[in-house]
Amino acid sequence: MKNLLIIICLVLASTSFGRPISYVGGHTLMANSSSQADNIYWHYTPDIKYSLGVDYQKDKISDELFASARFTYLLNRKNTATSQRNLYLKTGVGLNKDSHFYGLSGDWETRRLFIGFSAKQQSGQGYDLFEQRVKLGIAPYLGDYGDLHTWLMVETKKNDLDDQRITYPVLRLFKGGALIEVGYHRKTNWDVHLMYRF
Amino acid sequence: MKNILLLGLLFTSVFSQAAHHEMGHMHSHEGHMHEQMVEGKSLAVDPQRFDNFVANLENSKIAVISVQGMVCDFCARGIEKTFGKDTSVSKIDVDLASGKVLLAYPASAEINRADIAQKILNNGLNTTDIQVLQQ
Repeated sequence: MKNLLIIICLVLASTSFGRPISYVGGHTLMANSSSQADNIYWHYTPDIKYSLGVDYQKDKISDELFASARFTYLLNRKNTATSQRNLYLKTGVGLNKDSHFYGLSGDWETRRLFIGFSAKQQSGQGYDLFEQRVKLGIAPYLGDYGDLHTWLMVETKKNDLDDQRITYPVLRLFKGGALIEVGYHRKTNWDVHLMYRF
Repeated sequence: MKNILLLGLLFTSVFSQAAHHEMGHMHSHEGHMHEQMVEGKSLAVDPQRFDNFVANLENSKIAVISVQGMVCDFCARGIEKTFGKDTSVSKIDVDLASGKVLLAYPASAEINRADIAQKILNNGLNTTDIQVLQQ
């Protein structure tokens, strides 16, 4: 049971729809908190096609710490006058734990609508885990540059260990370089995601 | 019950923000810079926004950049940071609604369009047009 919780912590803590590649020369710092784990993730974008980062996670139940090196690559991007679509390859490898993950994520958004997906394979000592997520969002109003922006979202996810899909509401707020995202489900309690881009 | 009240407060604040952003403004544009033709093309900019941008500028060149993919404030932050490092740029405006970036340069500055396009690309966006006006 403890191992299962550790696996779920790793998955929850390291999955985020936040923009995984910033502008060239940009740094991004993220912090995530859930009932099972906390994690901090920093990444740097040396080129518009990829970012490099380090992720540090704490499992609140077993009190174990995991550090990982992460790499995200932009496979495809399509810009139009009113939208952007992205497809990313993400991978990470444990620095002090025998674990690694790889996955695909993508999104399409306009100023009003958002749809994103994530599919990730996570492997560690004695386990393999696959998780899929889909997120849909709508902006109730279109803010100007510099305003407080709000997104009302719904996320649904399922992994092959806990063979049950859960769906829950998510609220995303951002202003300037700061973003906060909060989701809630009675099974997993609160998920909080903070991001700052500088 | 507490959760319902919290949700109600949240939606009230969200939709009051929405109402604020839907209000329009009236403004006379007679004889304004945005009416100029540039290289045979009219400027496709928000007139009031453009006039506000140039209001306190003197002896400047204005670059109007048409951008694709600029749909998110959070993601467009890099534009301000990227062009803010260019000491020849005196003022920047990012207009999400019309997909335009406005840059002000001194009148004597030589504007490198390829450099502007590369900086926009470094933000994950595409440039479709750059128009330059002289004040």
